[in-house]
Amino acid sequence: MKLISAALFGALTLTSFPGWAQSAGPTDPQIAAIVVTANQVDIDAGKLAESTTKSKDVKAFAQRMVTDHSGVNKAATDLVHKLGVTPEDNPTSQSLKQGGDANLANLKTLKGPQFDRAYIDHEVTYHESVLDALDKTLIPNAQNAELKALLVKVRPAFVAHLEHAKHLQAELGKSGG
Amino acid sequence: MGNPALCVAGQRRGKLRIGALILAYAFVAITTTSLAGFSETAGTTYRVVIEQMRFDPPVLTVHRGDRVVWVNKDLFPHTVTGMSKAFDSHEISPNASWSYVAGQTGRYRYLCTLHTTMRGTLIVQ
Repeated sequence: MKLISAALFGALTLTSFPGWAQSAGPTDPQIAAIVVTANQVDIDAGKLAESTTKSKDVKAFAQRMVTDHSGVNKAATDLVHKLGVTPEDNPTSQSLKQGGDANLANLKTLKGPQFDRAYIDHEVTYHESVLDALDKTLIPNAQNAELKALLVKVRPAFVAHLEHAKHLQAELGKSGG
Repeated sequence: MGNPALCVAGQRRGKLRIGALILAYAFVAITTTSLAGFSETAGTTYRVVIEQMRFDPPVLTVHRGDRVVWVNKDLFPHTVTGMSKAFDSHEISPNASWSYVAGQTGRYRYLCTLHTTMRGTLIVQ
């Protein structure tokens, strides 16, 4: 199930993010929708993990995801309002939402160590995909200087989250959980 | 002319006034000196910016009595926590700051307990 979920999410993100490379790339309203959706997906998974996991470390990670991604989304939403941009749904934001929903549905069937591993495995894949998208699609295509600056500003948080998730993944692997 | 007793009393009052004035000047002089002394010992204020998951500058050297202000310019909370527990800001909200007066010499490594990849060093001379 874990592999299916990871593969599904990977397929969705891989088919949609590189898709922009061949075309003109996303517009600023589309980038805004991708950013807000990407953060919201991780906030939702984090909230589920906070209330489900029995692991202190996984819980702390989940709380961090909820707090940090909420902070990013608040800044993104404030900027969108300031610029008068209406986020525009697009294939990438839609696939992110679908991937997030599939992940939640999968996680809800799991408990204990299986839950923890599936959640953290997905967090590793998710942060890798978002970083890839930031570098190859979102930052290069952002036209508005403030939007581009926000994307650049939040990038290190995604790197730190990925390192944290990988560390937990290794720890969970060691404990055999 | 007049009452000699009153005159003596008047002279005494005059002396008292002069004494009070001297005391007042002395007090002002002392407080001014001590305030100046205080501002000298209060030291310099340094600023460390927390942004993009980094402490900038990552290594800061100050003297005893100097104040260090950490300003969080990220979009989520961070902490400034000495690894030896010498100091701990607890959560610093976005756009908020936390200050610490360096009391004892030493080399203090610190981190953000919420994002443990974030490290910094405060050197107090």
